[in-house]
Amino acid sequence: MAYIAMTTGFVLILIGLFGALTNRNILRMIVAFTVANTGVNLVMVAVGYMHGRTAPILDEAVPVAEAVARIIDPVPQALVLTAIVIGVGVTALMLAYVYKLYETKRTLDISAFKDLKW
Amino acid sequence: MVSALYILAVGLGAAFLLGLLRDEWRAGAYGVSLAALACMSLISAGWVWVLASGDGSAVDITTAGTLPPYAINLRMGLAEAVLTLSINLTGLLSAVYLRDTMFNQGRRALAVLLIFTMAACGIVLTRDLFNLFVFFELVAIATGGLVLLSRDKRALAAGFKYLVASQVITILLLVGIIFAYHATGTLNIDGMAEVSSLVLKGGGLAFFLMFIAIVLDLKPFPANGWALDVYESAHPAFSAMLSAASGSAALFAADKLLLIGGSTWLPLATGIGIVGFVGANLFALAQRNDRRLLGYSSVAQIGLILAVIGQRDLLGDRYLFIAGGILLAHAVAKAGLYWLSGLIEGRTLTAWSALQGHPILIFAFASFIALLVGLPPFPGFYAKWELVIALAGEGRIALIGLILFGALLEAGYLFRWFGRALKRERAPEPVAVSSFKRAVILTAVAAGWGLGLIWGALSLNGNLLLAVPLLFAFGFLVLEPLSVQIKNSLAIAGLVAWFVLSLPSYDPLQLIFAAVMLIGGALILLASYQTQGRRIGFYPSAMLMYAGLAMLIVAEDAFGFFAAWESLTIGSYFLILRGQRSEPHALSYMVFSLAGAFLILAGFALAADGDPLFTLAGLKQVAAPLAPWVFLLLAIGFMTKTAAVGLHIWLPGAHAEAETDVSPMVSGILLKAGLFGLFVLFMAMGSQQLYGVELTHILLWIGALSALIGNLMAAFQEDAKRLLAYSSIGQMGYALFGLAMMNHLGWLMALMFVINHYIYKSMLFLSVGGVAKRTGTRDMYRMGGLITLMPLSFIAVLIGIIAMSGVPPLSGFGGRWIFYNAILTTDSRLPMILIFISGPIAFLYLFRLIHTIFLGQLKDEHRRIKEAPFWLVLPQMIFVACLMAFALVPGLALRRVDAYISQFHPEGALGWEGLTITSAFGYWSPISIMIVVGVIFASLFAWLVFVNRKAQKVKQFNIVFAGERPFRPETTHFAWNFFAPYRKALGFLTEPLVERFWAAIVDLLHASADLLRRLYTGNGQTYAIQLLAFVVVVYLLRTGL
Repeated sequence: MAYIAMTTGFVLILIGLFGALTNRNILRMIVAFTVANTGVNLVMVAVGYMHGRTAPILDEAVPVAEAVARIIDPVPQALVLTAIVIGVGVTALMLAYVYKLYETKRTLDISAFKDLKW
Repeated sequence: MVSALYILAVGLGAAFLLGLLRDEWRAGAYGVSLAALACMSLISAGWVWVLASGDGSAVDITTAGTLPPYAINLRMGLAEAVLTLSINLTGLLSAVYLRDTMFNQGRRALAVLLIFTMAACGIVLTRDLFNLFVFFELVAIATGGLVLLSRDKRALAAGFKYLVASQVITILLLVGIIFAYHATGTLNIDGMAEVSSLVLKGGGLAFFLMFIAIVLDLKPFPANGWALDVYESAHPAFSAMLSAASGSAALFAADKLLLIGGSTWLPLATGIGIVGFVGANLFALAQRNDRRLLGYSSVAQIGLILAVIGQRDLLGDRYLFIAGGILLAHAVAKAGLYWLSGLIEGRTLTAWSALQGHPILIFAFASFIALLVGLPPFPGFYAKWELVIALAGEGRIALIGLILFGALLEAGYLFRWFGRALKRERAPEPVAVSSFKRAVILTAVAAGWGLGLIWGALSLNGNLLLAVPLLFAFGFLVLEPLSVQIKNSLAIAGLVAWFVLSLPSYDPLQLIFAAVMLIGGALILLASYQTQGRRIGFYPSAMLMYAGLAMLIVAEDAFGFFAAWESLTIGSYFLILRGQRSEPHALSYMVFSLAGAFLILAGFALAADGDPLFTLAGLKQVAAPLAPWVFLLLAIGFMTKTAAVGLHIWLPGAHAEAETDVSPMVSGILLKAGLFGLFVLFMAMGSQQLYGVELTHILLWIGALSALIGNLMAAFQEDAKRLLAYSSIGQMGYALFGLAMMNHLGWLMALMFVINHYIYKSMLFLSVGGVAKRTGTRDMYRMGGLITLMPLSFIAVLIGIIAMSGVPPLSGFGGRWIFYNAILTTDSRLPMILIFISGPIAFLYLFRLIHTIFLGQLKDEHRRIKEAPFWLVLPQMIFVACLMAFALVPGLALRRVDAYISQFHPEGALGWEGLTITSAFGYWSPISIMIVVGVIFASLFAWLVFVNRKAQKVKQFNIVFAGERPFRPETTHFAWNFFAPYRKALGFLTEPLVERFWAAIVDLLHASADLLRRLYTGNGQTYAIQLLAFVVVVYLLRTGL
């Protein structure tokens, strides 16, 4: 199961990157990045679980001394959530940029914005 | 101590608080933000204080009361404290700088600025990958927002490109982090480092992805077009933060990650870093836009620090000192330069000429450039010294070469920029008058100098800012408001006092050099009394040069020697740059001198074998395989200063275009620094063989060729000062020849040249300078007949050329006499012949000085000319007296030196009985010669007067022009192209081959930079592809293809 999720995740990442690097339309690039981000999140969920470990609740079942080897660290879960939130934030910021960029040149073609170079 | 957590809490809290304020409360919002940033800075400063004074130790801050890995943790150690302080101060100062912009933009922009600063601190403080990711993303988002503060419309596209790149980086980072977690079961950096074998075994790729993501955040060359666009178009205050704050933070993150990777990943960091340092500096050569140039320079500096991070295994406990020195110098200088660029309207490099007339801002500009290049007394200098020594100790020669080459490129474009700002026609747009902005810039200047003081104290070697001569020189910065007369008297008093104070400790050799440099310097300074006003910039530069010289001759360790060498180089650069048309010449002087200094540094480093306290005496112990290389590097380094042929192209312009009283300083005095270096080198190392070739023999040839070519070039000049400048090349060739003979008389002759050349070259430069001042031209064919109008100058020139040509009775003859004795003992016949030939050639050019300037017909426009100003004539007359005295009793100076040289070359010492000097081949009695020549001269003169008593005096208008009206003076003046026949015969020797050679190299560098930088197409998508290609290429290189 985990492998399916991981493979799907990587496929999504590659699709996303391919899309972002081949589409000249800025909106399409952003959509492609969100696809890639979803893929990353999927990979994190798939890889973040370590086989045979238990939930991070320290009680009689899992004494503190053995915890490191026996529980799943909760921090990666927080990481996925944070990554999703940040992904939304960055996407929103990029969309705002697109709006402004479109206002200046009336086009969404990324190759039109080459005033700065060399 | 306030917990470091509050740095984050205050930043975040204030940002949230801003959200609650009303839009109209602009001042309130601004005040809150400043208070928050000040508070964050204070907390960091407190930690720096506690940790640096040794009262506390590094503290781990755990959140939620649990130890990692169950919770996230932060660490506050010394490095963290210093970096957060630097980040917070950058944020605070940028906020002050942005006052007007922020009042327009309101609280939202302020909140983003706070988040940016807080997040950059977070990157530094955090010890786990989760937070590292979060803070990096916060910085990226905040960057996306702050880019838009700029008035430049193009910033919009730049910000978008930045976000595209950061998306790619995020993907790499997250995938890397999660696989690294899977391999180790923790996200804590220290936890991962403990089990790093797990990461590297199962998750080598995972670590690579994390590491490369952080490296990409450093904007590595060449996958960094997006970052350069941001640097170019963003508000300068934000570019300052991006370069200084987020650059430092990302570097620290890379450093932390390498804890996990361990030493096997260090070479990769070095490789990426050094490629970036050299590549970005190369590309910067072709830049015309100031902020983009600074962007390239940022990329380069961060690359250099990454390379240092990659070398940390061999730097040991000096690692923080070295990396920190370069990092902080970069941060202060880059932030300062970006802030400074905000005062300037135009965006070209030449637009910085608006700074003219603002000495304080020019001082700031110069300080920042010196900080960046790593010149003394700034932190980069100490760091560079220890770095290169340590690298050489481990035999990492190629890396040293690349670092020094990159640094030379950087110095080249920075000083070119500085020269343009100072010398080009002043830009019409005035400098912005904002007291806030200026205060911010001056704070950065103060920080730079303060860091210099601290790094000097932390250095294993001495603190340069506490060295008396340098302090004295820098003291003149404070005295600038005073008038020339006061400052000049102080300077002269200082030079003489320092000489008198140090007198007891000098050995005879040092005494000769000290007398020439310090007393000689004071004498030349007499000529400076003739200038009026305040002469801003002259005294700090001149005294910096003299301080360097004073420290050079007494230096006992290699560090002191090198520091003095660089100080005198910088001082003389600023001096030379003062000339009216000296911009290109000052630049080529600086580039050659710095290249020479870097060779000297490399030579010392090779010899030091890892010991930063290496003494000059230690040169004697350098063993065989290394010794000739050390010798070669040092000798070439010193020869850049003596302008040996091949390395001479800077000299004619630099000396000729300098101001009247500067020419004798840089010619009569400065050149001797190179000779002193060669003396020290030869005394310590003797002669060395490389692949069976005697190196001193090569130097002998270089000396002979310099003498020949220098004299020949001098003979064909029309410009009197250029003539004197070329003649210096020849004279230094003689001295080099004498030294390279490696025998007693050769050395004595070289010393004789040190004294003689100082006296007559200073004198001639002063008199020719005086003539040029009165006539308004330096072209000799535009002068003539000045003998009656400027008799004192005439006498000075006459005495000077008699002395220089080496005919009896003046001291030049003494030099010649020793010289002929010396070459009778050497086996090198062919270079000896060259030296012989160059003697008569010297007559050719010396003759022109007297003949064309003072004899012949007076030009119509010069009829009302007066004698040169008193203060120019006075030192000349003193020099005349000195020449006479030295001619009569050379033993006064030479006797003790002769004895001193006997320690090194016992054979061939001269006899000094009575007033006669005897050698193995004959004797020389200065006083009898003087009498004989005097009697002959007097009787011939009397006879001439007698036979001409009835001659009619020819006036100018007795001559008939034969109906011809001279159309252009040079075509009809007999003194123009005076030696045309000789030029026809020997002109091929004066083809500027060397100049063409160096010009070709410079052109090649520029052309390749201009061609290769087209890689940055400006297309955001292309940038993203380059980013991925960079990752793939680095991975392939890493895994060995």
